[in-house]
Amino acid sequence: MIVSIDWLKDYVELDMPLEELADKLTVAGLECVIKEVGKSIPEGVVVGKVIERKDHPNADSLSVCKVDIGAPEVLNIVCGALNVDADQFVPVATVGTQLTPDFKIKKAKLRGEPSMGMICAEDELGLGNDHSGIIVLEGEHKLGTPFSEYFKSSKILDVDITANRPDAMSHWGVAREIAAIYGKEFKKIPVELKETGPSVNELVKIEIAAPEACPRYTARVVQDVKIGPSPEWLVQRLEALGLRSINNVVDASNYVLMETGHPLHAFDFDKLKGAQVNVRYAAKGEKLITIDHKERELSEDMLLICDGEEAIALAGIMGGTESEVSDETVNVLIESAYFEPAVIRKGSKQQQLPTDASKRFERGTDPNETLVYAQDRLAALILELAGGTLAKGMIDVYPEPIAKNTAKLRVDNVKRITGVDISKEKCIETLEALEFNVLEDNDNVLTVEIPSFRPDVDREIDLVEEVLRVDHLDKIPSMSRMTISVAEEYDKFHPFLSDIRSFFVGLGMHEAVNNSLVNEEMGNKNIWGYQPLKILNPLSNEMNHLRADMIQPLLTSLRANALKKRTNIRLFELANVIEKNDYSDTKAVEHYNLGVLCSAPVFGLNWTGEDKAADLFYMKGILDRLLSKLNFNYKLKENTNRDEFEVLYDVVVRKSVVGKIGQYKADYFEKLQLQYPAVVMELQVAKLFNWYNPKKQYQPVPQFPSMFRDMSLVVDKKCKSATILNEINQSGGKYLVDLVLYDVYIDDEKLGKDKKALSLRLEFRSEEMTLKDKLVDDVMNKLFERLKNQYGAQLR
Amino acid sequence: MTKETIEQVQLQFKQALAQASDRLSMEEVKNAFLGRKGKVAGLFSLMGEIPPEARKEAGRLLNNLKNELQALFDEKNQSFSGAKANEQWVDYTMPGYSLPNGTRHPLTQAVDDMLSIFKRLGFDIAYGPEVETDWFNFESLNFPPNHPARDMQDTFYTEGGGVLRTHTSPVQTRYMSKHEPPVRIVAPGRVFRNEAISARSYCLFHQIEGLYIDKDITFADLKGTIELFCRMYYGKDVKIKFRTSYFPFTEPSAEIDVSCFLCGGKGCRVCKNTGWLEIMGCGMVDPNVLKAVNYDPEKYTGYAFGLGVERMVMMRLGINDIRLLFENDVEFLKQF
Repeated sequence: MIVSIDWLKDYVELDMPLEELADKLTVAGLECVIKEVGKSIPEGVVVGKVIERKDHPNADSLSVCKVDIGAPEVLNIVCGALNVDADQFVPVATVGTQLTPDFKIKKAKLRGEPSMGMICAEDELGLGNDHSGIIVLEGEHKLGTPFSEYFKSSKILDVDITANRPDAMSHWGVAREIAAIYGKEFKKIPVELKETGPSVNELVKIEIAAPEACPRYTARVVQDVKIGPSPEWLVQRLEALGLRSINNVVDASNYVLMETGHPLHAFDFDKLKGAQVNVRYAAKGEKLITIDHKERELSEDMLLICDGEEAIALAGIMGGTESEVSDETVNVLIESAYFEPAVIRKGSKQQQLPTDASKRFERGTDPNETLVYAQDRLAALILELAGGTLAKGMIDVYPEPIAKNTAKLRVDNVKRITGVDISKEKCIETLEALEFNVLEDNDNVLTVEIPSFRPDVDREIDLVEEVLRVDHLDKIPSMSRMTISVAEEYDKFHPFLSDIRSFFVGLGMHEAVNNSLVNEEMGNKNIWGYQPLKILNPLSNEMNHLRADMIQPLLTSLRANALKKRTNIRLFELANVIEKNDYSDTKAVEHYNLGVLCSAPVFGLNWTGEDKAADLFYMKGILDRLLSKLNFNYKLKENTNRDEFEVLYDVVVRKSVVGKIGQYKADYFEKLQLQYPAVVMELQVAKLFNWYNPKKQYQPVPQFPSMFRDMSLVVDKKCKSATILNEINQSGGKYLVDLVLYDVYIDDEKLGKDKKALSLRLEFRSEEMTLKDKLVDDVMNKLFERLKNQYGAQLR
Repeated sequence: MTKETIEQVQLQFKQALAQASDRLSMEEVKNAFLGRKGKVAGLFSLMGEIPPEARKEAGRLLNNLKNELQALFDEKNQSFSGAKANEQWVDYTMPGYSLPNGTRHPLTQAVDDMLSIFKRLGFDIAYGPEVETDWFNFESLNFPPNHPARDMQDTFYTEGGGVLRTHTSPVQTRYMSKHEPPVRIVAPGRVFRNEAISARSYCLFHQIEGLYIDKDITFADLKGTIELFCRMYYGKDVKIKFRTSYFPFTEPSAEIDVSCFLCGGKGCRVCKNTGWLEIMGCGMVDPNVLKAVNYDPEKYTGYAFGLGVERMVMMRLGINDIRLLFENDVEFLKQF
């Protein structure tokens, strides 16, 4: 909302510095900045007089002028305009003027003639688009006057109005706040009406068929007006607010809107069929062409202003073209009404038509004094600007007058909420300055009548805010001693997540944050096979579902990085994924998951010549470290349901699938030409957290030395190493504490075509004694026998 | 003992020596060949079996072998000890192995920094769902249906009647409906707004919500807490200021500005020459919100605040395009 400083002065004295005023209004709740609007003429442009004009000796279209700018020296200026002539007063951009950011006037020679400046056309000064000739000033002028003095700029306040303050969407509203803040008087312009025409009741009939949507409708009629342009002061005031002048009657109506905040409408009275106005809801299929020349299809909850036959306006939103005030209009009907906010909001939303009127009506206007004042004020303005005679009286259909609210304010409660001592006297003073009426003062309980232009205030707490905001917000003390409220239980999930984050950072991974919104394909491809949840009003089809896994968005990040030729892509992310599920009241079940994606070397190219890709085994190593850190046993179960994976496993903890780990087929990202395979992992960390038991007991440090034994087994190539390792772990006896597969060797000639050799190192240790060679050898022999019998293993 | 035997030992020694890569393995080679029970000594012990006429020649050959092996051993052994070791030139200017550099996302890092401050001030952490009901996201927070306040937050609706939460404030009413006062929580999380994506706005961002309900909690407690938070987060010289604002779920409501951390309030690019930065909204919890969760507003009062993490991170790091925070370009991420 733009408010003109000059205009505000009609209602309140402004003798304070404007910066301070803006600060105080901002603190009180009207966030605003001061701006300057109007034409700004660059410094250096002055008024000069052409004292002599000659044709340029070397160019047909140019003139050489002698220009007096009131300086000791007369300037020689070459000018290309056809209309330049001696004895003209013209704007001259002198040498040094910065006309535009990249155009500075310099001394020049044009076709051999020196030129010491430029005589300007309209467009060159940013005053319009005219380049047909230079600006020629009428009459006599003082030479050397800065040209900017011919253009008044005006100061405005650009106010950001919060949704609860319809009253502040006007000059009155802002002036009222200023008056309350500075203890000044707020004055309205007195209105005197000369009602010299016939009685308005003889001219028009008003009927409200939907009084719950339109509790009050008033009308006046002005006859024999003369539609024409508005006077300069009116045009300027509206222009300062960014409003275009249309004609005197329409401008007057906009003026009163911006003055009082009450929207009005002026109809061409003679277009009202049957000389009547009806307020009713639209019938099914009814249509109206509004003044923006759009034909609007109306639904049955759209409130309309109608004449005897058809709709003439969308109530509280916009008028129709048919009844619009035009140059031919002779008689005008002024509407000043109150509409139910929710009705107007619904209609304006439905038609996607927010207007100056609807924005105020939907927030709540004043059904009482302001409504009537605005009606009278507009009538008076029309008489003043367009002449005519005013019909006697005002039609006022107001079957159930809206009474002013009252609320009680317990003065003690002000301190209970704000923590600052505000005296009863100060409370009363502030409330009265804001035009609240303290009806009763009973033992520190004030009964306060709330002005009807403040629909946001109806409770004690609202009065507390009023008292606080005007003068006391910056006086609130700052509590420096704080108490701790003891909760029953404190959160452990966030520290759990922090541990996981540190773990991955330690591994050299970057934490990612992905959009939660994905396209349908990504939603459907989720690794869990969930049904993704759809967004009903998406920004675009690229974002019409919620992510149902961590992996798909991470793949998007992978693609974005790969397209930029990044090669070291190691990402992890912690976030919610959402599963559509009919049993939840929002049809959504959220799983807080961890996603990991890697397409990178383990170390990166270096001078040792090694450039090992981080493949599935790398990710398996990470999974193993993470789950053992969190004290979980797990199993991997092969999952063959997904074609895009070279290999994919379900991660099973406590018999339930809590994760996925896999490596994509190389050709799945063919177009990207990834340098390293893409491996991914997803874990339901919230589920793991529910099982997580951090109460770990200290284990005694080993007292006796370990014994190491190596075993090199030749087995079938297709024999799964996990099977052998499991077998050894299970049958290795109580002293086996660690088992490492440290070499896999394939040599068709030496081992045989279908064979491979697995080299294993076993660590044995006892907590009670130093193990004897013989004991360990016996275990090794038994182990080997078992492996030989069960898997046909041979020693190498 | 034939000439072949001697040559075989010679060959074995050379192979073993070639494989030896440290002092320990050199020692093993020495013991195996040149030691008291070594292979050379073994050969010497076989001298008795040699016919006397061939003994002299065999002795010469064995001595030659012993000297040769000793010489070969000494030559290689020097590189493992003493002056010779220093002479072996290693190019220590070669770069270190490139270890991958892990980083936290600036957003989650900022969330953690802020949460740890609030934890010190006695707040617990609470959570709520991202797909919310209209009741928790709006109605319980005193947003009546068809009220213009709903326009303050453009909302995504999901099939099945949910909304993507437009703020973390529903965690307030969710938490209060399950806990009796006193309640003192902060709730971090993702929130969503149906706004076109640009350098200035994204369809989602992170908020931290704060809530404290107890007997005798006033605006002064709110002010003290926020001041402390700002001092811990921005440094001790920071100044804060309140200005009246409007949120349906607080009354009185205010916005909080802090003096610019970069220029200290003198005015600079970050604060657009105002000297102040807008960091959060706050206020005293509206009695209608307390009533919605069956708390008695005559008995309890409290405050709430909410801050936007992206805004604070962008101001701090000088990031001027919010989309950078969600693209996960590793060249961006590795900086933090």
